[in-house]
Amino acid sequence: MRSLTIRDLSKTYFDAYAGSHVDAVRGVSLEVTQGEFVSLVGPSGCGKTTILNMIAGFIPCSGGEIRLDGRAIHGPGPDRGVVFQSFALFPWKTVLDNVGFGPKMRGVPKAERDRTAREYLELVGLAHAADRYPNELSGGMQQRVGVARALANNPEVLLMDEPFASVDAQTRMTLQEELTRIWQERRPTIIFITHDVSEAVFLANRVIVLSKGQILDEVDIALPRPRVWDKLHEDAAFKSLSGKVLQLVRSA
Amino acid sequence: MRPEGRLKSIAYFFAPLLALLVLWQATITVFDVNPRVFPGISAVWHAAVTSIADGTLIQHIGASLTRVAVGTVIGIAISVPLGMAMGVLPAVATFLTPLMRFFSVLAGIAWIPIATLWFGYGFGAITFVIFNAVFFVVAYNAMLGVSTIPMRLRYAAASLGAGPWRTLTEVLLPGALPNIVTGIRTGLGFAWRGLIAAEMIATNVGLGYMLFMARDFYRTEVIVMGMIVIGLLWLLLDRLLLAPLERATVERWGMVERT
Ligand SMILES: Nc1ncnc2c1ncn2[C@@H]1O[C@H](COP(=O)(O)OP(=O)(O)OP(=O)(O)O)[C@@H](O)[C@H]1O
Ligand SMILES: [Mg+2]
Repeated sequence: MRSLTIRDLSKTYFDAYAGSHVDAVRGVSLEVTQGEFVSLVGPSGCGKTTILNMIAGFIPCSGGEIRLDGRAIHGPGPDRGVVFQSFALFPWKTVLDNVGFGPKMRGVPKAERDRTAREYLELVGLAHAADRYPNELSGGMQQRVGVARALANNPEVLLMDEPFASVDAQTRMTLQEELTRIWQERRPTIIFITHDVSEAVFLANRVIVLSKGQILDEVDIALPRPRVWDKLHEDAAFKSLSGKVLQLVRSA
Repeated sequence: MRPEGRLKSIAYFFAPLLALLVLWQATITVFDVNPRVFPGISAVWHAAVTSIADGTLIQHIGASLTRVAVGTVIGIAISVPLGMAMGVLPAVATFLTPLMRFFSVLAGIAWIPIATLWFGYGFGAITFVIFNAVFFVVAYNAMLGVSTIPMRLRYAAASLGAGPWRTLTEVLLPGALPNIVTGIRTGLGFAWRGLIAAEMIATNVGLGYMLFMARDFYRTEVIVMGMIVIGLLWLLLDRLLLAPLERATVERWGMVERT
């Protein structure tokens, strides 16, 4: 069984203005098994983005280690797909070419990667926008392209940093439902960062609560799938789990 | 663009020029201006027809455009990779920015004296002036273009499997392209002015030389004809080549919200 193993991870930043060190992440250990959907929640500044950036390989860790499938990670790589909060689509590429970017880097021929890209655009409901440029799309559509682009590269782990934070509430709910549906179909390993408690509970199998750079507690979410807001909205189990996580976050 | 739209934009382009011609001829006629001071339209037209017929105008234009083309191509070929390399490292970009600004402003005519010392009078010195005008502005803009590409786009490329080379061709080059094109447009503007000035001093063929020689013989109609040719050539170059290029990148990609 492939898995992501994080052991005793820490990160110390040097704050140039204050002239002092900031312990953003302190001794975080975490095991994520293949196909798991994990949410990381916590108040602003508790180190969520820092953890994700270290897993993605964008920044080095100050201590501890991250292993994927037994191998220590070095820098960014296609085994860890990232969906950015600010989309990070290439403005000079069409939607189709954005989604086909990963396969292109692997040397997949044009016809084949176009087919793959169309398949994933279909999956996120954007087949009709294939030939448009990102700046011609709404925020919600751009984020769907971001999800399709990460998925089309078939990563072992999908890292998502508040990907739905910048879209309106209705679109956000649709995107959340789509993501759970896609996860059920494809079963990628997902680490999803958010500070929205109900989003974390709605999406994940397991919610991990962070506080001041450390893991405070974790809550298993044994809600049935498929998950849709119409059903879960008034669901007693959903409410009690959300309440429990919320309490943890507020005590953080 | 639809035919009637194109026709309209051509009309908008030529209407003010036409108005200027009318005003010009009216002034000459009303005040009975001495042709040694300023020529009439017919004299200029005549000068144009003669110099086209005897092939001299084409020769001058050819010489000028060749210098611009050679200087510009060499300038772009060297400045784009260099500017981009400087832009990749933020510290280098910050360090070099004031220097590049300084030389961008200085580029062009200020280099003519030293260029003639280095290359003698003729093709070399003038091409160097053109090269210089293009080089610093394009290098500065290429550097700026690369250093303003959001870090997350480089991260995105890396986490999709792009190595250094692919990052260069797929992210840095297209990301900097709008700035590079703007730099080429600005640099060529400097170059064109520098060219005319340099040709007055450092050669015996070219549009600038044609103007300067005509002065010695009080041939105001040749001078004005030359000025018109210089202006028109630039307008054509800018409108037909540079502006569409800039539009194709900057507007199409909506690169304004890129920061
Ligand atoms: N580059 C940096 N230099 C110095 N300090 C930093 C840097 N990046 C983050 N920090 C600090 O590290 C801590 C954790 O930041 P991080 O961005 O990981 O928080 P977060 O949980 O993602 O917050 P948010 O919910 O607001 O996105 C904060 O105190 C922040 O100020
Ligand atoms: Mg964050």
